[in-house]
This record gives sequence, structure tokens and C-alpha cells, in this order.
Amino acid sequence: MSSLRARRRRDAVIRILLLIAAITAFLLPLTWTALASFGLLPDNSTRPPSWEGPITLDHFREIGVAEPTFWQELATSTAAAACAAALTILCSFLAAYGLVRSRFVGEDLLTQSFLVLASLPAMAYVIPLSDLMRRAHLVDTFAGVVLTEAAVTAPLAVYVLHGALRQLSPEWEEAAVIDGAGLFRVLGEVVFPMAAPSLAATAIVLFVLDWNLLLVPLVLTSGEIKTVPVAMMDFFTFERELDWPTAAAALVVSLVPVAILVGVFHRVLERFSLDASLGA
Amino acid sequence: MRLTQRDRLFLFAPLAFLLSGWLALPALLGLLATFTTYSPFGTSVHVAGLNNYVAVIQDLQFGAAVRNIAVFTLVAVPGELALGFGLAYLLRRPIRGRGLWRVLLLLPWLVSPIANGVMWHFLLVGATSILDFGSGWLGQSNVASPIGDVRLALPTIIAVEIWREAPFVTFLLLPGLSSIPNELWERASLDGASWIRQVFDVALPPLRSLLLAVTMLLVGLSLGSFDSVLILTGGGPGTASVTPALYSYNQAFVVNNWPIGAASAWLIAVAVLGVGLVYMKLARRSTTG
Repeated sequence: MSSLRARRRRDAVIRILLLIAAITAFLLPLTWTALASFGLLPDNSTRPPSWEGPITLDHFREIGVAEPTFWQELATSTAAAACAAALTILCSFLAAYGLVRSRFVGEDLLTQSFLVLASLPAMAYVIPLSDLMRRAHLVDTFAGVVLTEAAVTAPLAVYVLHGALRQLSPEWEEAAVIDGAGLFRVLGEVVFPMAAPSLAATAIVLFVLDWNLLLVPLVLTSGEIKTVPVAMMDFFTFERELDWPTAAAALVVSLVPVAILVGVFHRVLERFSLDASLGA
Repeated sequence: MRLTQRDRLFLFAPLAFLLSGWLALPALLGLLATFTTYSPFGTSVHVAGLNNYVAVIQDLQFGAAVRNIAVFTLVAVPGELALGFGLAYLLRRPIRGRGLWRVLLLLPWLVSPIANGVMWHFLLVGATSILDFGSGWLGQSNVASPIGDVRLALPTIIAVEIWREAPFVTFLLLPGLSSIPNELWERASLDGASWIRQVFDVALPPLRSLLLAVTMLLVGLSLGSFDSVLILTGGGPGTASVTPALYSYNQAFVVNNWPIGAASAWLIAVAVLGVGLVYMKLARRSTTG
């Protein structure tokens, strides 16, 4: 038995070493970027290469000089992603509940087709969409961006929430109905509280997806409303002269909000599941 | 609870409104428009039949894009799945600070594709590149940037894509993988099964439907590759790393050749929907069998 224990200990050590190696490799580019944003740059002309400093916060201030509206774009991105995620959750929660409790043939097929829809690249429909939105006078409006972002991410939300709501036993709802509760009270007082962790996890993932969308806000706006990804793209297609430390600082600033969100709610995020047969 | 007709209307109407107005309607109108010469900037519209599609298929640049995306998808998706699974496998048992490990490992996915392109551009090009730094330590002179090389441009954007998506795969697989009871692993390992057999016999059967769903999402993501390619290589050098989505975007929004852009975009949709049919067929078997 002792050889088994020794093997287990050896396995555990190998596992930790592999994990450390993997994390280091995956985080190296980000660390490089973070160092550059604080002014720590490699000097590749010396042998061996060396580092030049000094450490400074100036590059974060230079973002506002290079792109005067950057902080406003950050606010727009945050507000648009938050509103879109909330709208998606609302619509998808109702529809997913409806699907779960409707009990019809082809329910699985329908939810799977939502996953296929979620996999459809935005490029596939964004060209005519931009035309329609212009005709509906929703181009360059906050509402236009929010509604479109919400629609683009809704199929994924329906698929995930359908899987989550399917796990709920209908008994609690039946009890509430016997007490005389209608659909609104059943949803608000029974289903919503029980599904809250899954809803929160899905909302966070949706926020990250919306926050990072480029194509949708890009073709629906022409300067009035700008999100951070669109601003970055403008910068790099029109003036490639942006210096690296400032770009790095902008990258760090645009990553920090979602990183904090994910860091704070990482326990909740464990409830995000693509698999209908797992979880509680 | 038993839903009445009015309940159903209330539950489904918001989603139906959102999806029909912003997804189904534009997609279908767009499909109709691809059989005409319609363009929002044009004055007259004629029926064009399949001419737009013929023009797209005959375009050598689109041909290059299709070849590139085929290579891209066939390398990136298995790579992301394998790497993502491997990392989830390492993280499946509780270890100290697993929460922190998970958050750190998800960071690459949190970087937006466009920021990802910007970041890798500076990491691979110019005086401060990580490549020159590494080669400098090895005593070599500065190396040419891989994104300017016809043969290395595509492998580079594939590698960058794997770097961003593999952590997301880990995030998606980990809940499923850690819910497999430990006894199953123990039994397989006591039976003397090799590491690889353990993975195939213990992990893959219960994860089948999850893996199918993740693969479907990854294929869609990969067939629509656009943001990071746009910044990193712009499709170049020449057509070495152009993708269909980049081609559609350039046609519709850069050179204002609307019908060609819309038609090529529909070809991407058809490819994804085709993969979707295969997915649904496989997923159906896994739920019934």
C-alpha cells in the first residue's frame, strides 16, 4: 500500500508543477503587457537583453491624451454590457422557464438549435442588420447597441438557463399554485430565488461577452457611441503609431473591470454549465 | 405549474421579439438580398439570381480564405479542446487555492479579441517584442516577426486563438470533470489502466454531451474568426491569413461591395448551420442512447 501512497504523492507533485508551468506560460503575455503599462520595457539591443525603467504611472495618464474620450468609452462599454446582459437574462429566463414547463416533443431539439444559433458568428447576419438598424434610426444610439448585443447573446443564455431550470423540481411551484399563486408570484418567489446562482453566473459570462463584442457595436455606430473595443480598432486601423506602453496601459484598464468581476464572483461562476445533465 | 396560453405569451414574447427583430429578420432579409444587386448605397435593384454567390466562389481571395479557415478550424478546435481538457484535468481535484488558479487561468479569455490582437502585435513586432528578448538571451540576433512571414502568419494567429480559447474550454469543462466521482478514477487506476485509458473510459462518457456543446461553440467561434486577425495580420501577408469573416467585412464595409459581402457572409452561416446539423444529430444520440 505504501507504494500506492508514494505514487499518489508523486502524482500530486507532478500535477502542481504542471499547473504552475501552464499558468506561467498562459500569463506570460499578460505579465509582459502589465510591465509595459508601468513603463518597464525590455531593451533588446543589449546582450543579454536588459530592462529599462523607471516604473511610472504616466502611461495611464497618456491614454486620455492619445484618446481623449477613452474614459467615456469605458463608461459606455460598462453601461451597454450591463444593460444588455440584464435584458438578455430577463428574456432568456422567461423563455427558458416556459420551455422547461411546457413539456412538448422536440424540446431537446429546440434547445440544441439555440446552441447552434449561439455558435453562429455575428458576421453571418451583421451586414443586413446594420442596414435595418439604419432604416429604423437606431444607428449610433445606446438603445440600438444594447438591444443588438442582447439579441446576439440571447441564444446562449436560453441554452444555459434551460439546462439550469430543468434541474428544479416542480413541487415547490405546485405548492405555491395550491396556495393561490399566479405565474408572477411563482416566478418571483419560487423559481427566481432557486435559480438565482445560475442566473448570476450566466449574467457575468454575458457581461464579459458583451464587453468584448467588436463587430456589433462597430457596424452600428459611427462615432457618437463608442465602446472600448471599437475605439481600439479605430486606433489601430487609422493610426498605427500608438506607442506600446500607452496601448498596454489601455489594455490593462480594459481588462481590469472584467477581471475584478470574475475574481469577486468566481464561486458563483462555478454554476455556469453548458451541460443540462450536470449540477443542481 | 401548468401554463395557460396567456402565460406562454408572456414568457415567450420578449425573447421572440428580440430574436426575430435583431436576428431572424435581418438574417432572412439579408438572404433574400443576396439574390439581388441590393445595396443600401445603390439606387436600383435587379434580380441577380446566383450571380453574387458565383462571384464570391470564383474570387481567389475567398478561396484562400476558405482554405485558411479550414486549416484554422482543424488545428485550433482540437488544440483548444486538448489543452483546455488537460488543464481542467489538472484542476479537477480540490487543491489549495483552486479558486485563484481558476481565475488566473481564465484571464486570457477575458481579454477582448481586439485587445488580444493589439497585445500580440506588440509582443511579436518591433523593438520591445518578446521574441527579440528571448532570442537575445539565447545569443541570437533579432528574429523576423512571424506575422510578416507568409508561411508563419496563419500558424501564429492559430496559436494566438488557442491561447485565448483554451482557458475558456477549461472553464466550461471543469464543473463536469470535477463532478465525476473520485471512486471511478480510483477503480480505473487500481485496474492498472494507463493514464490515457482512464481519461477515455472514465471522463469522456459522462462528458459526451458537454464536449459536443463546447465543440459546437468553438467551431462557430473559429469559423467566424475576425477581430484578432484584423489587427494582427489584416489577412496578410497577401492572402496568407485572410478569413471568410474578414473577407465579408472588407467587401461590405471597406470597399462597399455590399452584395458580395452579404453573400459571402451567408456562406459562413451555411457552414455553421451545417456543422450545427451534425451536432444535433450527435447530441440526439447521446440523450437517447
